[in-house]
Amino acid sequence: MTEPILSVRDLCVDYATPNGLTRAVKNVSFDISAGEVLGLAGESGSGKSTVAFAIARLHRPPAFITGGSITLAGTDVLALNDRELRAWRWRDLSVVLQSAMNALNPVLRVSAQFADMFKAHGVSGKADIRARTAELLQMVGIKPERMDDYPHQFSGGMRQRIVIAMALALRPKLVVMDEPTTALDVVVQRELLEEVAALRHKLGFAVLFITHDLALMSQFCDRVGVMLRGQLIELSTPTAMISCPQQDYTRRLWASIPPLHPKPGETLVRMKETPQ
Amino acid sequence: MNGLPELGTRPVLEARGLTMRFGSFCALNNADFSLYPGRALALVGESGSGKSTCAKLLTHVLTASAGHIFHAGRDVTNLTGRKAVLEYRSAVQMVFQDPFAALNPAHNVEHHLTRPLALHRPDLSAAQRRDAVADLLRAVDLDPAITLRKYPHEMSGGQRQRVNLARALAVNPSVVIADEPTSMLDVSIRLSVLDTFRDLKRERGIAMLYITHDIATARYVAEETAVIFRGRIVERGPTAQVIDSPRHPYTRLLLAAVPEVGSPFGEGNSLAPLAAQVRESCEGPGDLREVTPGHWVRFAA
Repeated sequence: MTEPILSVRDLCVDYATPNGLTRAVKNVSFDISAGEVLGLAGESGSGKSTVAFAIARLHRPPAFITGGSITLAGTDVLALNDRELRAWRWRDLSVVLQSAMNALNPVLRVSAQFADMFKAHGVSGKADIRARTAELLQMVGIKPERMDDYPHQFSGGMRQRIVIAMALALRPKLVVMDEPTTALDVVVQRELLEEVAALRHKLGFAVLFITHDLALMSQFCDRVGVMLRGQLIELSTPTAMISCPQQDYTRRLWASIPPLHPKPGETLVRMKETPQ
Repeated sequence: MNGLPELGTRPVLEARGLTMRFGSFCALNNADFSLYPGRALALVGESGSGKSTCAKLLTHVLTASAGHIFHAGRDVTNLTGRKAVLEYRSAVQMVFQDPFAALNPAHNVEHHLTRPLALHRPDLSAAQRRDAVADLLRAVDLDPAITLRKYPHEMSGGQRQRVNLARALAVNPSVVIADEPTSMLDVSIRLSVLDTFRDLKRERGIAMLYITHDIATARYVAEETAVIFRGRIVERGPTAQVIDSPRHPYTRLLLAAVPEVGSPFGEGNSLAPLAAQVRESCEGPGDLREVTPGHWVRFAA
């Protein structure tokens, strides 16, 4: 095992509610190695997105990190001040969220949005920026000639490719992806994740991949973690977790996925919803 | 799941040559399908394929550019007058994708279910209405004692979608059109919500159109499945046959892209080249031909 690029230790996140503090993330610890894809799965409200937001320091009140540590490539993430955070984000860690339309500014051309990002991180020179933008778009399968188009001129899948190109621009060590393909249909989802899988082999970045779709996670991730009510209850390779899940909840979660070709006599689990 | 329509049952809702153009763009091209009492048709396709246009035509949000819609044998393609539209819409109800947006955040569950009853069944007394609301909640597997006073934000997505179904059922529709009813819900609870849809459709003899991009769930709700690509139905037949012996290249691509446990991405199973090839090859004229009884596939002319 290589040295971990990310170490999360005993992470606790609380939400302030009218009835006092509610612990959304309870003593969560895990590592991600350089170039590894780690998946976090769980139902709505399990705390998986809260973990992702805490690692990117994107959490906002009423959420508060109340314990634990996060280290990314030797940097104590929780100790960064605002100025340091701005430089650190995108250079060391970038984020891809579910809705690409909300991540891109609808009134700015794509090229202008790349330029903003480059300038914020000290890259100047118009020609240099355009050349790098073209190269990045090409890398995710978008024709560089389209860089002066607006976001609405692209399909949902293409917009998400643009966001991923932007997330990889400064060669971060870790890309946090929170349900990046949930709004896309299955064929586009598959094409996009195949692209990300190829790129991470080429560029060597690690991925924290958040989804509620365990089947998808088992196809895309090197290791998967399952969260339940704020706790990381199981963490292993997809193969190990499918063949011998350690927790009853994990077993039921796997058995609740509607299979495309059900085997005769196979019993599917009907999960009861966790009340809000 | 058993397959073919019971012989002699007449369709409740029929689309014949249904076509919708927006300028030069054809969103739905010459679609034929029928919905039968107690049975569901799954309409499966990607974003932009025309499936939601289909729902909007059937609910009279849009008026077709060409083709016909028949309800209980009557041509309802062009309804004139508010009364006719309202009558039609109480027979053809809709459940939407977003369980959050479809309920009014300022009103509780009781209000959402009492209102359609008050509007469409004015004959009921207040006491009868209260009983009817409780019955509706029980029908969608919610406990009236717990749910009645709840506001949308106090419920999970699945519970809200159950309330939406109960609201649709309140007016005793003969047709329910469900547009991606589980795509915003966790994978783990989709089956239990779909079970409710399936059971109610059978018990109440409702004809259902189940619109989805998730072909894996079609088997659990719908006896028949139609696959739509770029506005055209490319394959239609008993669900098990379409999923287990797909004939059209787009259906095969769609099935291959469904996330499946235990088949990791890697060398040799990349779908991107196939996807590009299928998208190109499915353009142009063609027609549906019956390959086995009830199983229709579109062939290029």
